Amino acid sequence: MNRLLGTSIVSVFLATGTAALAFECVRPEASFDKPDGFPERALTMVVPYGPAGGSGQVAAAMAEAVTELTGVAINRDHKPGGSGTVGMTAYMASPADGYNVLEHIDDASSAHALDSSVPNPASDLIPLVVSQVTFSQIYIRTNEDRFSDWPSFVEWVKAQDGKATIANVSKEGSMERVTMKFITDASGMTIQQISFDKGAPRYGALLGGQVDALFEQPGDVRNFLDAGQFKPILTIFDERPGVFADTPTHREMGMDFDPLLRFRGFYVHADAPADRVEWLKWAFQRGYCEDSYQSFNESKFMTVIDSYRDTDGARELIDRSVEQYRDVYKAMGLDVK
Amino acid sequence: MIENFLAGSAALFGDPFTIGIFVFGVIGGMLFGAIPGVSMLTLAAILLPFTASLEPAQGVMLFAVIYCTGTYGGAITAILFNIPGSPENAPTAFDGYPMTQKGESGKAVGAAVLCSAIGGIASALVMMAATEPLANWAIQNIGPPEIFALVFFGLAVASSVGARTIWKGWMSVLIGLLISTIGQDPVGGINRYNFGLTDLAAGIAFVPAILGFFAVSEIFVQAERTAAGKYKAPKVSMAFPSFLELWMHKFAVLRSILVGFFCGILPGIGATLAAFMGYGEAVRWSKNKEEFGKGKLEGVISSETANNAATGAAMIPLLALGLPGGALTAMMVAVFQMHDLQPGPLVFYTSPDLIWVVFAAMFYANLSILIIGVIETKTILNLLKIPFQFLAPLILMLATIGAYISRGLVLDVIVMFLAGILGYLLRRTGFSIPGIVLGLILGTIGEQNFAQGMQMVHYDLGTYFSRPICSVLIAAGTLTLLTSVYKAFAPAKKPA
Repeated sequence: MNRLLGTSIVSVFLATGTAALAFECVRPEASFDKPDGFPERALTMVVPYGPAGGSGQVAAAMAEAVTELTGVAINRDHKPGGSGTVGMTAYMASPADGYNVLEHIDDASSAHALDSSVPNPASDLIPLVVSQVTFSQIYIRTNEDRFSDWPSFVEWVKAQDGKATIANVSKEGSMERVTMKFITDASGMTIQQISFDKGAPRYGALLGGQVDALFEQPGDVRNFLDAGQFKPILTIFDERPGVFADTPTHREMGMDFDPLLRFRGFYVHADAPADRVEWLKWAFQRGYCEDSYQSFNESKFMTVIDSYRDTDGARELIDRSVEQYRDVYKAMGLDVK
Repeated sequence: MIENFLAGSAALFGDPFTIGIFVFGVIGGMLFGAIPGVSMLTLAAILLPFTASLEPAQGVMLFAVIYCTGTYGGAITAILFNIPGSPENAPTAFDGYPMTQKGESGKAVGAAVLCSAIGGIASALVMMAATEPLANWAIQNIGPPEIFALVFFGLAVASSVGARTIWKGWMSVLIGLLISTIGQDPVGGINRYNFGLTDLAAGIAFVPAILGFFAVSEIFVQAERTAAGKYKAPKVSMAFPSFLELWMHKFAVLRSILVGFFCGILPGIGATLAAFMGYGEAVRWSKNKEEFGKGKLEGVISSETANNAATGAAMIPLLALGLPGGALTAMMVAVFQMHDLQPGPLVFYTSPDLIWVVFAAMFYANLSILIIGVIETKTILNLLKIPFQFLAPLILMLATIGAYISRGLVLDVIVMFLAGILGYLLRRTGFSIPGIVLGLILGTIGEQNFAQGMQMVHYDLGTYFSRPICSVLIAAGTLTLLTSVYKAFAPAKKPA
């Protein structure tokens, strides 16, 4: 009963906290004239990941919101594989007529940072909207008795002589691996990263004690937070978001690096007709404001910080990320092309 | 438990609309599971947006029902035409299709119907009785090293299936393992054998490979026989397996329930591994290993019992911990979230009614497999009467659509035809298609878990043996391997 009460309180706190922090929608126009009747048929949205993951879900939510708003159907074409490269390649080969749009995440930026022949989402594509921006955290089990906060965790990890483990998605050059490099360099600890590409085994590994900690974004582990099973001990963001007021940031813990953010957005070919691009920008930016999309974002903890970037804001976010990734790749000795 | 089950049953059958959704799920799952290329996942993805307008219990129940019947649906085409509807039905084709060729299609389909229902019902009952403790046990005791050991244990018997000699059996498995390494490595994301082709970075997808190795190579084999005037149409047989035949396989059924349940309960693993492991264990425990892959009823029984036993088990980590076991259960998480619910420990307190409607629906869905399966089988077996010259183009067309539709890549169609040609050539020379497919599917799962396990034990192989489950499985697998090598070298017994 105590556990139930405790978890309910956490849930209520998180729910009210996120609602109070919801960011305003900034696209005011409720309608926008179709340029020469465009679009006169359904749009196709290429999604470089499967339908069940974070990208699949945000694509479905945005497609639903845009259809609600405009009446234009959107067919989702999932092309998973190769960390998003399969979908990106397929999209670049599709006609640049405005009928094809792309969903992608920050992996597109890090892929371009590593290899400049890979499309740059800020210049080879036009960002219509970035609709999810979030930060990462380090989690431990709530019933963990070896450490309870970041300082005691670092102390314990150092005592393990490199044998402590953390679950994440540590593919070469990924946001997770780069951020972990920042953290381990700054805190002087060595920790074994275990790469799980799917969420369930990753979270199960922490729940079951197969690993000592987890690197993840709060929206993806919300149910474990609500259930009182996971506890954040470090927020990798410049300030403490209200709902995580008790969790220190990396800067407070003496780690001086700019946090890399996880972001998901929607794009169109750079050479698509300009008037069609303007209509798509309106549709997707306004789609972000639809109630259905807002409640989706809220359920995913995506209203804790400002998740919205219009085209210029998205370009700024991408450019900054690419620059950061490139610097750190060089420092890591990776072959930056 | 019984009280809750009855309450769930009453909620399920007390409302005509809910009954309608249940029936739609049962039939839709069977149909989409049976048509190659489209799968229960396709149906689930189409239905996902519509579940927002349903009651939460109706939405989750619909997906659970589709999961049960869709897992069974692919067995029919696997048995009749050598086209597994999805990867978890591939081992069913190993012996199911040879049974069709021997004129025992009715027996194979009947066994698939019955054993799918038994496996599914058994796992639904265990799910109802012990969801929470089982889920906690699984995540605490089974990690990547144990899953790798399980795959190693399963692969150890793979050489015995369908090849002319044990060496060709091993070569077949190794070919499958080699194919499984194409694409990005599962841990570091480094490209391997993709020859600069972006699409190959995603690896060889299971569906086109299976369609190629099974369906396309079979068309080539039958076309050759037709050209040589040796083609014999399979006899249509409506004879179901007798009670005695099924009773003789009671231990195989029991073993497959346990294997399927164990695989299903592991987050991220699910029914595919269950089917392959169930089949592998049947081979391991059989005194007549050489009969597998040539039309042995036990092969069909083991595979179909195990894959459906995994369905109830896969719901355990989902409902108890919020950890989906595969793509379909991951979509169920989305259904929960659409209704502001989260699967996990709290759901038993916050939505007990929903949970018991889902449990009851899964029980009845598995029961429906038995009833609808028996009725449909009598009709569907008549498809075998279609002459080969009409059937072959139809199968090729379905297989091509199936290969393309899952990812929308032309590469997958090419892979399917290349696998078909390779399969045809290897079959002619005594290699084993089941061995290749076992290697391909188990290799992908095994490599990922081996790499993760090695990171976990700090690249110290010896530490694997400090984990009890892991060491038992590796030791048993090694023993099986050594036994098969010994038998290969041992002098053949002279006839008395």
